[in-house]
Amino acid sequence: MSTKTNKKYDIVIAGGGVIGAACAYFLSKEKDLKIALVDLKKPGNASRASAGGLWAIGESVGLGCGVIFFNRMTMQQADATGEDLPPMRPHVLPDYFFEFALKSNAMYPALWQELKDKHGVDFKFEKTGLKYVMYDEYDKMYADSIVDHIPGLIDQVSWLSAEELAEDEPYINKKSIGALEFKCDHQVNPYRLNEAYLEAARQNGVELFLETEVLSIEKRGNKVIGVETDAGFIACDTLINAAGSWAAQLSKMATGIELPVYPVKGQIILSERLPKILKGCVSTTDCYIAQKDNGEVLIGSTTEEKGFDTTNTLPELKELVNGAVKCIPMLNDLNIKRCWAGLRPGTPDEFPILGEMEGVEGYINACGHFRTGILTSAITGKLINDLYRGLPLDMDITPFKYSRFLKPKEDTSEDSKMIEDALV
Amino acid sequence: MTHTSPVVIVGAGTAGISAAVELAQAGIHSIVLDEAPKIGGAVFRGPYREAIELPHLDSKLRKKISNIRQQYHEHQAFIELRLNTRVLGPAGKSSLLVRHKEEVSELSYEELIIATGCHERSVPFDGWQMPGVMLLGGVQLQLKSGLVKPGQKMAVVGTGPLLPLVACQLFKAGVEVLGVYEAGKFSDFAKESRALLNRPVLALEGMGMLSYLKANAIPMHYGQGIVSVSGEGNLKKAHFAKYTDDWYPIEGTGTSLELDCLAVGYGFVSRNQLSQLFQLEHDVCPISGLKPKIDTWQKSSQENIYIAGDSVGILGGEGAMVEGRIAALSIAQTRQKVTSEQANSKADDYFTLLQKVKSFRAGFDRIGRRREGLLSLLKPNTIVCRCENVTRSDIDDVIEQGVKDITSLKMRTRAGMGDCQGKTCNSYCQDRLGHELKNPDVGHIKPRFPLDPIPFSALSDGVQL
Ligand SMILES: Cc1cc2nc3c(=O)[nH]c(=O)nc-3n(C[C@H](O)[C@H](O)[C@H](O)COP(=O)(O)OP(=O)(O)OC[C@H]3O[C@@H](n4cnc5c(N)ncnc54)[C@H](O)[C@@H]3O)c2cc1C
Ligand SMILES: Cc1cc2nc3c(=O)[nH]c(=O)nc-3n(C[C@H](O)[C@H](O)[C@H](O)COP(=O)(O)OP(=O)(O)OC[C@H]3O[C@@H](n4cnc5c(N)ncnc54)[C@H](O)[C@@H]3O)c2cc1C
Repeated sequence: MSTKTNKKYDIVIAGGGVIGAACAYFLSKEKDLKIALVDLKKPGNASRASAGGLWAIGESVGLGCGVIFFNRMTMQQADATGEDLPPMRPHVLPDYFFEFALKSNAMYPALWQELKDKHGVDFKFEKTGLKYVMYDEYDKMYADSIVDHIPGLIDQVSWLSAEELAEDEPYINKKSIGALEFKCDHQVNPYRLNEAYLEAARQNGVELFLETEVLSIEKRGNKVIGVETDAGFIACDTLINAAGSWAAQLSKMATGIELPVYPVKGQIILSERLPKILKGCVSTTDCYIAQKDNGEVLIGSTTEEKGFDTTNTLPELKELVNGAVKCIPMLNDLNIKRCWAGLRPGTPDEFPILGEMEGVEGYINACGHFRTGILTSAITGKLINDLYRGLPLDMDITPFKYSRFLKPKEDTSEDSKMIEDALV
Repeated sequence: MTHTSPVVIVGAGTAGISAAVELAQAGIHSIVLDEAPKIGGAVFRGPYREAIELPHLDSKLRKKISNIRQQYHEHQAFIELRLNTRVLGPAGKSSLLVRHKEEVSELSYEELIIATGCHERSVPFDGWQMPGVMLLGGVQLQLKSGLVKPGQKMAVVGTGPLLPLVACQLFKAGVEVLGVYEAGKFSDFAKESRALLNRPVLALEGMGMLSYLKANAIPMHYGQGIVSVSGEGNLKKAHFAKYTDDWYPIEGTGTSLELDCLAVGYGFVSRNQLSQLFQLEHDVCPISGLKPKIDTWQKSSQENIYIAGDSVGILGGEGAMVEGRIAALSIAQTRQKVTSEQANSKADDYFTLLQKVKSFRAGFDRIGRRREGLLSLLKPNTIVCRCENVTRSDIDDVIEQGVKDITSLKMRTRAGMGDCQGKTCNSYCQDRLGHELKNPDVGHIKPRFPLDPIPFSALSDGVQL
């Protein structure tokens, strides 16, 4: 049996990806709590695999990672019903997701400064914008439709003509007919963001149990009292479940209920290091492309439900390569340095699961961030902190609570039906 | 299940070819892939190979190894050799991603034998990057080419049986060899004489080399090693000292030599990138790095993947040959091409030989086990990772921050993220972190997929629109 550590913590955070690390950082800012973070890097953990886009509008209107997701769903739908492919329509998420994404996005400039100044860590925040590059009239219709859906954000979008695009991004295919730019969508280096939160939390007194796995959860009655790990038992009053794609296993142990969180595989391609060829991040209907802080060009990403499989597969890589070469023809003469696959913590409605669970004490969810966990880590950390301390929340988190899955469905909008059909 | 597809073997070195030959003898076809333009692996690497004497190999084995090509020719009908073909990693389940010239393709397999050999361990010290400081393998390559001498005045430093061998080879090539510095103590060698006598002929040949060195007035210094090198631009001086039991240089025992080339050899690291990309289970091996777990038949944690030769622990040519043959026998048995009696009776001889080789090798491994003192040979500004320009003090900083695993160390410093994929710096980072945490298991720098860069054009249908 394991040794009992005699330390007791107010909070144990299970999972040290960007979400667990953000929670640790925000909860430790006051330095008044005893916090432990326990993390074992499992193959495919999302934060290290991520693209690092802060595409608040882009992702909310189904571009970036989303575009491939919905492309595929539409195709599956057409396949299943035997209908012709419907014209592509943007998949615009509900207002509360916009609020969540935009609020988080707005936190980054100050967070970046704070982590650099106070803690000496730099997660390479870059103001890039996100351009949706259009090749034909269908792409233009798609873009028009996006703009129609977001009247409140009109000051954050701008149209670029073919000439303006060519001037701004000279390496993008000259045959593109223009672009729609989201001015507030930027990027970070995702693993540096993860490490930055962790290091800042450590400096604030959080104890890091790295390379350590949570094996089981101990309860007294309906209250969590600690976690058993391969480094011994760790007692706590509250457990935060930030276990990414593995969150269901943890919730099962803590609450008896398996959260509907499951891995959604994404493959990514990275080029060799290049001189600056892209000013901003780019999304087409085939893929997204971003040049990272060290000059490597990143191309993402597939959306595959293959369980915990993290292999790279040639047909999918070829799809991404073709999409990228179409957008930036010069890539065809350059090299791929690396490919990998990561596991997004998906949920049936693609929204995260935040907050307590009825009937269990000392347990908080912070998981299910699917394709936007890098972007929404900041607000998640803040919300979890405020929730834990009983402070007023920056936004209503009811739509993100687990209980939404228990309620009879009222929302019968076409999109959510489509998601259900595709995912359930 | 009926097996008709050929067994796929990665590596046409001693282990890979031996496996292919054993398979052929059981009537099983194989495809052998190697990135090199010739078969033979590490021992035969470089031009003019046939002429090379390998004096520390016993003559029987020498014949066996030089026989590799002949054996291949005799069994050619069963062996499809694909040279200049690099395996880049797994592609999905049960396929390899393979590159030949500009073409990238998939190759599926039912059984796979990984026999990818090893590379030399790089141990950083103050000045290690200076032109003129070379690894033993590089020195051997230049000697074998017969065209250029690596230097005029040289010394050989490190540990292991390759040191006296290279010194002899250098001397024969007309280089002035100023001395050989073996970190292991003379008394340790005496203590291990029993283990070394497991392969008496090898041991005798080793003795032969030592007397050759003596006869030619080349001093052999035991219990001594490198401290630093100096020079302006090019190597001018190397500084040695006696080592403590933990291989810390002892102050006041230093000697310096003026020379223009230094051959350094602190052992080998298994080339295990492929086995890692396959997510096989590994053990941490203090000698050869990460070691894939195998059973007595060389079978990995995955049912249809076998590992043989230096890539599963460095045993030398004989070990590689035997391991390749054992893996092949196991496959022949699963494919019901030989009965288990046949396999067992044949394998018994192999197992016995392998055991002797292992005991012999273990002697050297105990003497040459890397000690923590080597970690003290860097100054704060000594480069650890030359691809990303990471210094020792960068590493100090993140250790101070409480980094607990090698991946976090890499993410925070970028050590090992450059083009060589940590081949050079990984050994130091690993040893250092393990030493600081008093735990050798600090995780491993994961190899990139694909193992080498590939052109976008190899995967694209060309520029469209
Ligand atoms: C290919 C790809 C591209 C992406 N691109 C973007 C993007 O551009 N922008 C964006 O905002 N988001 C993006 N995402 C999504 C984003 O990466 C995720 O939403 C986010 O990283 C989720 O963080 P997490 O901390 O919840 O999960 P993870 O990073 O997976 O962290 C969970 C951690 O918990 C550990 N763990 C699990 N179980 C246990 C246990 N029992 N004990 C100890 N530790 C445990 C895991 O091993 C892991 O380290 C992308 C994702 C992928 C896969
Ligand atoms: C520098 C050096 C010098 C040595 N000198 C001697 C010596 O003088 N005498 C002696 O007895 N032993 C020597 N050895 C040790 C000896 O080579 C081995 O013990 C034995 O020959 C190993 O056989 P192997 O088949 O395991 O590996 P190798 O003979 O090294 O064969 C491995 C083969 O795999 C190929 N390969 C690896 N990865 C890939 C990939 N991804 N795709 C395609 N092909 C791949 C390589 O090109 C190589 O040909 C030396 C080793 C090294 C590294």
